Amino acid sequence: MRQDTNIDVHHLTRVEGHGNIVVNVKNGVIEKCEWQVPEAPRFFEAMVRGRHYSEVARITSRICGICSVGHTLASVKATEAALGIEVSPQTRKLRTLLKHAENFDSHVLHVYILVAPDLLGAPSVFPLVSTHGEVVARALRLKRLAHEWGSLIGGRTTHPTTVLPGGFASLPSVSELEAMRDRLAAAIPDVNATVETIAALASKIPAFDRPTEYMAISSDHEYGLYDGYVQTILADGDRARYEVSDYRTCTNEYVVPQSTAKYAKNRLGSYAAGALARFNVNYDQLHPEAKKAADMLGLVPIATNPYLNTVAQVVEIVHSAHESLLLFDELIAMGIEDEDLVQPVSFGRGASAVEVPRGILFHEYSYDDEGMCLSANCIIPTNQNHANIQADFERLLPELLAADTDEEEMELAFEMLVRAYDPCISCSTHYLDVEFLR
Amino acid sequence: MRYLIGTGNYAGFDDSIGLRVAETIADDGVDHGFRVIDLGGNLLDLIHYLDSGSEAVLIVDSARMGMAPGEYAFFGPEQVQTRKQLAGFSTHEGDLLKVLDLAASLGRQLPTVTILGIEPEEIRTEVGLSAALASRLEEYVLAALGFFASAGPAR
Repeated sequence: MRQDTNIDVHHLTRVEGHGNIVVNVKNGVIEKCEWQVPEAPRFFEAMVRGRHYSEVARITSRICGICSVGHTLASVKATEAALGIEVSPQTRKLRTLLKHAENFDSHVLHVYILVAPDLLGAPSVFPLVSTHGEVVARALRLKRLAHEWGSLIGGRTTHPTTVLPGGFASLPSVSELEAMRDRLAAAIPDVNATVETIAALASKIPAFDRPTEYMAISSDHEYGLYDGYVQTILADGDRARYEVSDYRTCTNEYVVPQSTAKYAKNRLGSYAAGALARFNVNYDQLHPEAKKAADMLGLVPIATNPYLNTVAQVVEIVHSAHESLLLFDELIAMGIEDEDLVQPVSFGRGASAVEVPRGILFHEYSYDDEGMCLSANCIIPTNQNHANIQADFERLLPELLAADTDEEEMELAFEMLVRAYDPCISCSTHYLDVEFLR
Repeated sequence: MRYLIGTGNYAGFDDSIGLRVAETIADDGVDHGFRVIDLGGNLLDLIHYLDSGSEAVLIVDSARMGMAPGEYAFFGPEQVQTRKQLAGFSTHEGDLLKVLDLAASLGRQLPTVTILGIEPEEIRTEVGLSAALASRLEEYVLAALGFFASAGPAR
């Protein structure tokens, strides 16, 4: 067994935001094994206090430049719950279609750009252009499709503009929906090729099992994404149900010294959110084509290897493609009706949950009689996963030490584990740092 | 098609300047003859606008160029080299110069790309903008509009 190990990954790459991995082992004794999150809080919840309900979603969508559709949807849904607004079936379908576009887009990015380099032994996507050019080109085709699909419904995919409390500010036309539907149908071969690519690389995914609790939105009508109740499942199949309005009773946030981000727990010491959790909780409601993909990828519920979150994302790419084709068809058959925004009937407190790519996202607001925000609370999925990542670390390290894994392989195993969760720790800076060539 | 693309992070203080310029132009409701894109942190999506269907692309971003805070410059990607040391690509640590390299490596016929770089005073985790940049926001907007106006009518 390995006696001494020091791993200090400061600012792990290919994740969204800043996170550190620190492992110290001396004379065979584990002194430190930590997933550290040093991000500063950004106080969005304070920022929306005193703002009119019509402005809140625009502010909270800025929480994340990657999952801004999800934050917008969670925000308008919580506001609608607080104001007694019931949206139309057309609005629900369009929002669900928008949600699929975001998850599809983000999963393609994560699977192809952030994880595939690990599976192919490359440091980043750049070397893959010369060795796997068609795979990179396919990833970019799928990303562009999702980007334009989301833009059609949301006005734009980053910080969408059309989604408002009570409905939509503007709507796509039937002919625009038909054109996008045809483009999505034409992309199914690329979707199928994605499954084949990951199936071919499945043997590179580390074998590791740590059963935990899995939490996701569930619905009696569909694979939970846009709306429903909260459901959790344990590895033995035991399920528990929670209403969204009671979300605090199943998230139980708490603070730990090693992290500025809050942790969460429910029935066990930690729980997992994200694609694998959704797969485990809602497998029965996957589209048949997605179930076929799961078979091909060897993914069976209840899957307890956290590295398989990426594989579950591939299954969800298939699910979103086929479910969205059905939604496009339904909307085209219904025709798009101009609808006024549904107005508030009361002012109070309301909560919502939406499945963003990285897991279940909660928003909650209260409003006064003038529609001004009195309080807000947002619980993002990455924070819900931090405790679970830490628990995975604590199980994984002794296994790696017992297997006499060298430090480099050990570091990669920890990095791949964190990346499998697709964490979005915070939106970070993207500024240019240049010098002019003279 | 011509594009003005704002990139950055609203929660990154002066790193938000590109988004604010794009947002200000998009919100004025006037057809300026180009599409305004708020790309946020999704730098990889920039690739979607870099093909033969694009006539010209102006990217507005905060840029450390060694100038005084608030100063700005137009430059092409071939005129600069990045000082960012990146271990791998993610949307987090993305560098739009690397995205341009990626697009070029795919063998695409790239449109003319110009960057309107704005020197930040401070980049930190906070929603807001320094006084040095906030006081000149309108100037940046006019500079961006002038860039397209001086290019003549769109094809």
